[in-house]
Amino acid sequence: MIRHHPDKNMLLEYTVGSLPEGPNLIVAAHVQMCTECRAQYHTMNTLGGSILENCTEQSLKENAFEQLMGRIDQSPAPKGNTAADRPKISEPLLNDAPPVVHKLLAKNPPIKWKSITPALKMCRLSTGQDKYEVSFHRLSCGGKVAEHDHRGAELTLVLYGRFSDSNGVYGRGDFLLREPGEVHRPTVTEDQECLCFSAVQAPVALTGVNGWLLNRLIPFHPG
Amino acid sequence: MAHRTHPNSETNPVKLLQRENQDWSTLLTKVGHERDRQAFEQLFRHFAPLIKGFHHNRTTQAISAEAADELVQETLLKVWRKAPSFDASRASASTWIFTIMRNTRIDMLRRSGRHKSADIIEAVDVWDETPEHQPLIFLQRRRNEREIAESLHSLPTEQSHVLEKAYMEGKSHSEISTELALPLGTVKSRVRLALKKLQARLAK
Ligand SMILES: [Zn+2]
Repeated sequence: MIRHHPDKNMLLEYTVGSLPEGPNLIVAAHVQMCTECRAQYHTMNTLGGSILENCTEQSLKENAFEQLMGRIDQSPAPKGNTAADRPKISEPLLNDAPPVVHKLLAKNPPIKWKSITPALKMCRLSTGQDKYEVSFHRLSCGGKVAEHDHRGAELTLVLYGRFSDSNGVYGRGDFLLREPGEVHRPTVTEDQECLCFSAVQAPVALTGVNGWLLNRLIPFHPG
Repeated sequence: MAHRTHPNSETNPVKLLQRENQDWSTLLTKVGHERDRQAFEQLFRHFAPLIKGFHHNRTTQAISAEAADELVQETLLKVWRKAPSFDASRASASTWIFTIMRNTRIDMLRRSGRHKSADIIEAVDVWDETPEHQPLIFLQRRRNEREIAESLHSLPTEQSHVLEKAYMEGKSHSEISTELALPLGTVKSRVRLALKKLQARLAK
């Protein structure tokens, strides 16, 4: 059962499309996994529909409809996404990941894990933006990550396995937000490894892959 | 449009809106199943000026009038193409059109943005347009829609104002707080209070 969700404010920002792209992907993946948040999202879309019905009409150019029908008649409908788009998954732990993660995987080269510490591996994903570092984090069975604080906000979604910190236990589908300056020390359960999908706010002075990695190496030490 | 002067005109605008919404859903179903152009024209004449007004009006100029016109065209083009997948038991016409419009706006903004993230992932993959796996019983869904429309009308202005800024201008809470010179916590609590009222009505 999913116990940790994004708050209502964040779900609303997701619904209206005002979250930065990195966090947005993490929230989107959670919403796809969580019936509770999906119901909230649907309610917020309905609210959007009500606001649309209530807003002040603005007139269009007189031939706007004819113009549209002209476009419809001239342009063939594009082919929709087919099952063939679904990529072969190079990482079995991601088999049950939500659709948005599969879309991202399809647009990225095959997963290559990079060891950060003996317990922690990561794989960075390209998402077309550089304000947040979006990546998979993989923690080995019983692995501990040294106590660290966050220089930027970090959003995490558990895709496989479980880990715990002083605030609780996080399993598949659970969502966590750590604000800058919060200290925590995640520990993975002994029976299985843990794979997380996360977005970390890039430090202002150290954007870009190298700067970011360097920055990540400082707070992470073998546990 | 006929809907503004309905023959059995009711005085309650929310009731009127709900009945219309049913009619729009019926029309949209016809567009999807029969590719009915007349039904589509009726939908266009109703929703196109609303979609434009949502993004560009006297108080809100989230985007320019030209961009709003383009957004109207793009959105309704998608409505035409996607209408066969519209399911009136899952969402009303206005809710479904809202999701298509939001996704179209996001894709348009991304295409014009510095980062070509549209190449990476499309809005429809990030914001589902058919979120409910289990269709609600039709009457239940309609009741929910009515409750939401009614609670929107009964919100204090300070709360509905913040919601409108979030939805119509696509602003984040912190952008709204800067613009209205309010503490971020105040903006957040107004949104939460508004949503709480809405949830309370749905739970009744
Ligand atoms: Zn949730």
